[in-house]
Amino acid sequence: MELTEKRLLVIGSNGIGKSNLLEAVELIGSLRTHRTGNDQDLIKWGEKRALLKAIANDSECLEIELRRKGGRQVRRNEKILGRQLDLIGPLRCVCFSSRDLDLVRGEPSLRRNWLDKVVQQLEPIYCDLMSRYSKLMRQRNQLWHHCRFCSAQEKNDLLDAFDIQMALVSTRIHRRRSRALRHLQPLAANWQETLSGGKEKLEFEYCPGSKLEGEEAEEPWRLSIQQQLLEQREDEERLGICRIGPHRDEVKFLLDGAPARRFGSAGQQRTILLALKLAELELLGQVYGEPPLLLLDDVLAELDPNRQLLLLEAVGTDHQCLVTATHLQAFEGDWQRYSQIIEADSFQLN
Amino acid sequence: MRQPEEKVKTFANALLSAKSKVGQCKTCFHLSAESECEICRNDSRDREQICVVADSRDLLALERTREFKGLYHVLGGLISPMDGIGPEMLQITSLIKRVDKNSIQEVILALTPSVEGDTTSLYLAKLLKPFTKVSRIAYGLPVGSELEYADEVTLSRALEGRQNME
Ligand SMILES: [Zn+2]
Repeated sequence: MELTEKRLLVIGSNGIGKSNLLEAVELIGSLRTHRTGNDQDLIKWGEKRALLKAIANDSECLEIELRRKGGRQVRRNEKILGRQLDLIGPLRCVCFSSRDLDLVRGEPSLRRNWLDKVVQQLEPIYCDLMSRYSKLMRQRNQLWHHCRFCSAQEKNDLLDAFDIQMALVSTRIHRRRSRALRHLQPLAANWQETLSGGKEKLEFEYCPGSKLEGEEAEEPWRLSIQQQLLEQREDEERLGICRIGPHRDEVKFLLDGAPARRFGSAGQQRTILLALKLAELELLGQVYGEPPLLLLDDVLAELDPNRQLLLLEAVGTDHQCLVTATHLQAFEGDWQRYSQIIEADSFQLN
Repeated sequence: MRQPEEKVKTFANALLSAKSKVGQCKTCFHLSAESECEICRNDSRDREQICVVADSRDLLALERTREFKGLYHVLGGLISPMDGIGPEMLQITSLIKRVDKNSIQEVILALTPSVEGDTTSLYLAKLLKPFTKVSRIAYGLPVGSELEYADEVTLSRALEGRQNME
């Protein structure tokens, strides 16, 4: 399918698969989708493989092959890539979906996922760090079970070996998350001011799951986290959970100093969400010198006409947009200008 | 001696599958028809250095480089609680005994830089340090090494350049 206009509007009733197109673009652009963390769910029932292919900037051919048995093959211009993260670049995108609507008021994990997606677009190597961290957590959790068969000394030596690695990877994750928030904050604050007519002041507060003591530098933070992991070891044995590390991070959004999660109105929370997405678009554009793709999945209709227009104004004609909705009437008239409109019932996804 | 990579791999795999028939060296646990392998019996090798590898395949790969002149120790795997592999299932006690009994100047850990490889390296380093000097071979870039945004681009160019050279 060829995109002929800056904006593509895909219209169709729920459950018809109109989000598949956006999901495919998101997967090729960022190696993950906003709907599932599981490749198997993306492969057509009864099929062994799924192939996604996109041509970006008229020249870059990007492909991902998903396999039922697990594992992916990633190709760029027909060359197989050793590292998946080398696919990130030509198709940077920001996704805003109806699933994001709970970002401000929902569980901390939603905000961590949001932040991770931002950092990953800024620094693809972050994918490695995150998968390393999750592997360490899984191995370490298993170790507690395995421990019943090994001596106390063996157990402690093994935990030491894991803690040394966890402390280093945690430090790097904390630093990257905090750095990304520092870059995003002024942009988001600006947008919040614009969207609220100059009334609201938005701030971020990064609440790391480890105590980050001393100046921001790898060595002091790493040593401190290693010490904290050691100190909570007995608690971990008793409770079965590790209470130190980036998996316990929280990001607080403050409106005029008060946590928006608890005190913000539904309207304010929605404005924050919009400000965050716009900041994300702006930051990616600044860092890479070209505007990222904007994917709006079933979300535009959730915004009132005023916010829809503000979003359109902000996006302008710089960003290419892929939008899904159930009805064309959901869009403010201006959204339909310069747009390619597709009725989802009429196109086929093979 | 310029064997194509494929042939060498096939040979290594054949060796591994023949493991039960062939048996292991009683000292280093490398595959061997004799009770002690050729490397351990070779007097011209440096007996004060031991290179620790996960399996015989890795040993063969290192031998092909002809860089290392010392002796080996084959662990038989890497520590991985998820796969139910703990230290007791690997040739670790035998390694400590070997290092303790002989005058070993240096143990070089040559394990892949995965979570399992690093865990095993760190664990071994702790156990071995009272007896000898421990080092590990350097693998390219460490995971997620600290780079600012600008450097990221430079780095990927450098990496691309390296891949193309073959
Ligand atoms: Zn031997």
